[in-house]
Amino acid sequence: MISKQSLIVAKWEFLRFFKWKQQLISYLLMMAVMAAVALWSYFTDESREVYRIAVPAEFSISNTEQFQFQRPSIALSEQLAQLKAGESWHGVVTLSTATADKQTVVLHTLASKKWQQQLETELNSYFSQQYAAKLQLTPAQLAELQQPITLEFSYLDENFKGKDTPEKMIALGVLILLFIGLSTAFGQVLLSITGEKQQRVTEQLYAIVTPQQWMDGKVLGHSLSAMKAMITSALVMLLVFIVVSVVVRDNGVNLSWVNWGVLAWLVPFALLGVLLSACFMGAIAASIDDPNTSGKGAVMMITWLPMLFTYLVIDSPTGTAMTVLSWLPLTSFAAMPVKMAMVELPWWQPLLSLLLLLVAVWWMRRLAGRIFLRGMQMYGKEPSWGQIVGWALSNKAE
Amino acid sequence: MQLIVTAISKDYGDIAAVRQVSFQINSGDIFALLGPNGAGKSSIIRMLVGMTRPDSGSILVSHQHEHYDHVPRRLLGYLPEDRGLYPDKSIEKNLLYLAQLHGLSKQKALQEMAHWLEVFELTDRRQEDLKQLSKGNQQKVQLIAAVLHQPALVILDEPFSGLDPINQEKVVGFLKALKARGMTVILSAHQMAMVEKLADHMLLMAQGKAILAGTLADIQQQAGPQRQMVLSCAGPVTAEQLQQWLPELEIELLNSNRFALKLTATQSVSGTLKQLVNQLELTQVEMQTADLHQLYLMAMAQHQLREQA
Repeated sequence: MISKQSLIVAKWEFLRFFKWKQQLISYLLMMAVMAAVALWSYFTDESREVYRIAVPAEFSISNTEQFQFQRPSIALSEQLAQLKAGESWHGVVTLSTATADKQTVVLHTLASKKWQQQLETELNSYFSQQYAAKLQLTPAQLAELQQPITLEFSYLDENFKGKDTPEKMIALGVLILLFIGLSTAFGQVLLSITGEKQQRVTEQLYAIVTPQQWMDGKVLGHSLSAMKAMITSALVMLLVFIVVSVVVRDNGVNLSWVNWGVLAWLVPFALLGVLLSACFMGAIAASIDDPNTSGKGAVMMITWLPMLFTYLVIDSPTGTAMTVLSWLPLTSFAAMPVKMAMVELPWWQPLLSLLLLLVAVWWMRRLAGRIFLRGMQMYGKEPSWGQIVGWALSNKAE
Repeated sequence: MQLIVTAISKDYGDIAAVRQVSFQINSGDIFALLGPNGAGKSSIIRMLVGMTRPDSGSILVSHQHEHYDHVPRRLLGYLPEDRGLYPDKSIEKNLLYLAQLHGLSKQKALQEMAHWLEVFELTDRRQEDLKQLSKGNQQKVQLIAAVLHQPALVILDEPFSGLDPINQEKVVGFLKALKARGMTVILSAHQMAMVEKLADHMLLMAQGKAILAGTLADIQQQAGPQRQMVLSCAGPVTAEQLQQWLPELEIELLNSNRFALKLTATQSVSGTLKQLVNQLELTQVEMQTADLHQLYLMAMAQHQLREQA
């Protein structure tokens, strides 16, 4: 199915953009940045400190683990002077009466800090209790008043797994990974094919391998690069999750929310999707004579549309739009894994979708090979869109 | 390998790139395609390679009792006119890649590479990136890339371009080595002195047409017996005097006592000398035949005159 020459071209293309040292350095840098963020949040964690707050003498607020409330007998101006000098207090609370029936609490501090939000919660709670006492409410009545209502969603479609669930997060992750993969392929395919044309390697290669072998090798090599980018990005995402869970949140690693079945299906869909897109990009790049003057390069971005369309309908995974996208071979590589992450599907649906996608990849690679050959025979002239469509519809391979 | 090309023509839109060109190349020959830019040499080469097909006419390639309508890739070594390799890769990586695409094992490729790098004195630079080499050295790497897999036929489009005279001589030696290995070579070139040393057969083209073909001797004969007599005399002589004594001859005064006379088929050496001995004391007489460069220029001039007529 794929010739030895194509595999040699694929290996060459894959390794051409694979720089061990740079790759390693970028991973180390990424890990260093993550470690720095984790250490920074650990050492700047304000919740572990105790803050002293000066409050008016009539405040009966109780101390908490984080806040010690003190009632100094000195004048406010002196309290503020000590606050400014960094002595005695982290904050000074005063009361001002703006209107006859409304009091405003003022917190004097040196600058805005995260702990002040926690203090605001404590003060709110204190004043709620004060108002409740004034209204002669019992603590139970107050608790009932403060109890928010709970709105539960009940979905009648038994296959739907729910919104804003880990499944949706996985679906979004799938789209992000595909976007990363296709962006990698986009840059490499354009650079590789037009670069070879400009470096005058193409005609020499034509005398050695057929246009189809050459295009197959290119597409495979860059698709593998894209898959590598997706896998490493997924690993980095996982690493971030682990670091956040263990270091920042101080929890253990819990991966029970990961749907491994969907991830297993994602691999063939992603591979075929990237191959399909790389074939399309290869076809367009092969029709470009000079990337500096050609406007055709932007057309390669069409390959990002499947992810965009899928994102737009992600909240309706059982809707008509998602169903169409998940069957259409040009979009199914993005839509079907997302749909699978959010609803239960019978096994034959992803399988059939995958087979249709495979046929599309086969057709697209033949098209890319034809366009490369015909484009090369034009010697310095760029084919028109009409010519490209004509070649796409013709069946002549070489 | 034998090639028989019969009346091939190729148009690109309104431009007739090749018109009714025929020639034959025998196994082990060095065949030169000559002609000015735009004569149709590269168009013929691209048809032989199979990149394009002739609009009419036929190409018959015969090798070991097999016949093809263009040169099969596995039998072909090709140096295109528009050429280049991967500048950010080393000589060795570039050559290994192309050799492996040709089907060579790594070991065999390294062995062949070592031989040709030695020939071109590039052994010590094999790990250098191509972009670090001079244009001439890059050209040598391209030549090596075309022959590493020992093809039956090597097609070299302008192999001498961009090379200094010393390296041009090296390429002549390289081409002779290919011939000695039994390879058939087709080359296009403008460097007539190089072609004259190498080519068994040649085809001179202009505006897509073949205007002269054959061995150097055949071409000299087709162009007409062009002879030149260079004479030296004891005393000074002027162009006016010579024109007066020999009104029917084309004369070129080389210096005050040395001049050249171009003889046509009807003008004899002895008759010309008889006309001169009474006028001058001749000290040296030298006969020259037209070289390929002169024949080329003359043939092109004649072709232009015919086209204008």
